[in-house]
Amino acid sequence: MGSYLIRRLLRTLVVMLGISLVVFVFVRSIPGDPATALLGERATPAAAAALREQMGLNKPWFFNPSNPMDAQYPKYIQALVQGDLGSGIKSNIPVRDELGSRFPATAELSLAALTFAILIGMPAGIIAALRRNSMWDNLATTISLVGVSMPVFWLGLLLSYFFAVKLGWLPPSARLGNESTLEPITGLYVLDAILRGQPAALWDTLRHLLLPAIALGSIPLAIIARITRSSMLDVLGQDYVRTARAKGLSGRSVTLKHALRNAMLPVVTVIGLQAGALLGGAVLTETIFSWPGIGSWVYEAISQRDYPVIQGGVIFAALVVSLVNLLVDLSYAALDPRIQYR
Amino acid sequence: MKKLLLTALLAALPTASAATLVFGANGEPVSLESGNITDGISILIQRQIYDTLVDFKNGTTDTEPGLATSWKSNANATQWTFNLRRNVKFHDGTPFNADAVVFNMSRWWDKSHPYGFRDQGRTYEIVGDLLGGFKGDATSVIKNIVKVNDYTVRVDLNKPSSVFPEVIGAGYFGIASPTAIRKDGAKYGTPASKPIGTGPFIFQSWRTGDRVTLVANKAYWGTKPKVDTVVIRAIKDASQRLNELKAGTIDFTGDLSPDSLKAINADRNLVAVKRPSFNVGFFTMNNKNQYLKNAQVRQAITMAVNKKAIVDAFWNGLGVSNASFLPPVLDWANSKSVPADYKYDPAAAKKLLADAGYPNGFTIDLWYMPVSRPYFPTPKPIAEAIAADLSAIGIKVNLKTEDWAKYLEDRNKEPGFDMYMIGWTGDYGDPDNFYGAYYGPNGSSDINWNPPEVQALLERGRAAVGKAEKAKVYAQLHELTYKAAYRIPMVHSNPLAAARSYVKGWIPSPLGSEAFNTISVDGKK
Repeated sequence: MGSYLIRRLLRTLVVMLGISLVVFVFVRSIPGDPATALLGERATPAAAAALREQMGLNKPWFFNPSNPMDAQYPKYIQALVQGDLGSGIKSNIPVRDELGSRFPATAELSLAALTFAILIGMPAGIIAALRRNSMWDNLATTISLVGVSMPVFWLGLLLSYFFAVKLGWLPPSARLGNESTLEPITGLYVLDAILRGQPAALWDTLRHLLLPAIALGSIPLAIIARITRSSMLDVLGQDYVRTARAKGLSGRSVTLKHALRNAMLPVVTVIGLQAGALLGGAVLTETIFSWPGIGSWVYEAISQRDYPVIQGGVIFAALVVSLVNLLVDLSYAALDPRIQYR
Repeated sequence: MKKLLLTALLAALPTASAATLVFGANGEPVSLESGNITDGISILIQRQIYDTLVDFKNGTTDTEPGLATSWKSNANATQWTFNLRRNVKFHDGTPFNADAVVFNMSRWWDKSHPYGFRDQGRTYEIVGDLLGGFKGDATSVIKNIVKVNDYTVRVDLNKPSSVFPEVIGAGYFGIASPTAIRKDGAKYGTPASKPIGTGPFIFQSWRTGDRVTLVANKAYWGTKPKVDTVVIRAIKDASQRLNELKAGTIDFTGDLSPDSLKAINADRNLVAVKRPSFNVGFFTMNNKNQYLKNAQVRQAITMAVNKKAIVDAFWNGLGVSNASFLPPVLDWANSKSVPADYKYDPAAAKKLLADAGYPNGFTIDLWYMPVSRPYFPTPKPIAEAIAADLSAIGIKVNLKTEDWAKYLEDRNKEPGFDMYMIGWTGDYGDPDNFYGAYYGPNGSSDINWNPPEVQALLERGRAAVGKAEKAKVYAQLHELTYKAAYRIPMVHSNPLAAARSYVKGWIPSPLGSEAFNTISVDGKK
């Protein structure tokens, strides 16, 4: 197990290095550069060229014959191994600092969305499987179909309009109200409000979290419900379940102890995959709900061609996805004793 | 008893005097360091924290004293002297004086200034753009920045410029506390620092991606703020900004799409606010294109596009169409002998095209912007309307677009776009800012038409002193560019803003941002 973990982590490190190279080349291959994007309507060729030089973008990418280390990628990697991801081209804000403040926001939103998706999606899938072809089954299937096909930004705006503007129950966007005094510790506001002992702030942040979590969670919810349903149906039809029933065990015990546990394997895989996908879905949700997370930040950076931000954001996201996948693999072993890692 | 309790409770509630004003901005600031930003949100927030030497009267582009109480030039406008306001302190207690001005201006302009932090990524590109370059550049407008005495600064110029005070009054050039810059070093202006100015509001906090919070400067030398706190929230999505305004979670906002006007007017809690127009949206014709280099063809195109109908349809009445590059507030610099607009006459246009040798028309590309700007809020349908008008006279138009950064780059690359849409929002109240951005040495190289007479007129315009003198020069420029018909102004739009009805005293500036010190919250919020 231990050596497996070390091997996996080493492999992750190699993957990260590969990704840094790919994203480095990739962002520089997109036509248009930070200088043109920054200058906007003012971007005359002369002004852009002057700015490019100031920014060091006219230096060679990989190798400078006159001064081998004075090229963009070697410098980037050199800084990277020291944990320095550079600074935003225009804002001069260190990418590391920005990741530190924005990742918790994305993590909190993703966790809330995933929790929402699991809490509703799994029971819905189980009920649908147990009451196959009933009204509940049809309802769950229909809702999950709608959930998968509805664009996130549209659902987000709709939720916001209905619950915030029409009914006035919840705030339309942001993480906290205008008058909030919550000082972040971890950046996860729910946790921070508890740590600081501010019940009002906790209530405030939960209210702000609800709508974006529902918007972001809608697609994973639908997917989780469908996978749970089909996996449950699969397992319920297997011999050992029939045997368990024949032995006279109660329906409840069969469902929960035997079937559910075995049906969970594909569900956990999907949850793991969805956790990765949430980072992508967060771009739109974060934009609609003015959520200061990584998604909206990197998205903005792409249109501005802010190379250090894009590179840092992508490398970091890849790291998170790798680690989540590792966790998923490890949880297999916990769920299914037949699976062992060596 | 119950009643008594209720009264006591009500009395304990905070009173209206502890007012917070919440603005919904269309994004977050890039930096709070002046001289180093060009985006609207950074300028808007800086406008609250910093003062500029020269200010502009509320709602106009006319100059008025800022941190300089008066300024004058020598006869040929090559030397400007600014008299500074006394007894003004920065928010950190540092006195404002000539040293502070020289410090700020030098770090923007002098590439070797120790506090310019150029080695750490600072570029000050706006200085290069508006002032021709930096210290040592042959093209630099500034020659020298001199402290005459504690409250007098003189700026020597390399060439005459009557617009220098306007330029230095632009929102980019807020005067910051030298103490704070020395203390924070290259961190100055980032969220890890505390930007310090002399302005009506004092910086309190910046939560990146979310909000900037400012508090009233009770010791402000000018009009004292009427609220205690200003929160500027980043809400990128325009529909969401409107949602927030309707829900009352923000008090006022800008950059709304023209189609929101109906929804705003229908809500009795909201008031639509039209920002005075200070922009131009136009389309260009490329001299390198075999058809468009023909003057008759260009003329036909100007007559074929029904600009007025397009502006009515897509700007919801929030804009005017005319044949001038200059927005209405600069109308004094327009020629009186040029018609107010290109004539709309498709039949005559068709005949003109036939005379030019193209009775069956031809095919060209029209590029539209992939982003929304105040001057073109919905570029694609506008481009479709232009294409439809042109097809009526037999010109087939291929509509094209691409990512914004690439668009900006490609228009200047050989051979450029046949026709494309672009625009400009002004920085300071002078015609030079509009013409100079697209013609002359600082103009784009997009249409292969920049004749010496235009360049000469631009030089003369910059040197001309007084409105009457300037009007003469720019009228000629107007006539020349009107006849050449390479850049066809479509619209001068009024960017749409809105406020809750209790927000009083908000006078939007045509220049894009204004200090919030005149705004009060009236009665119940």
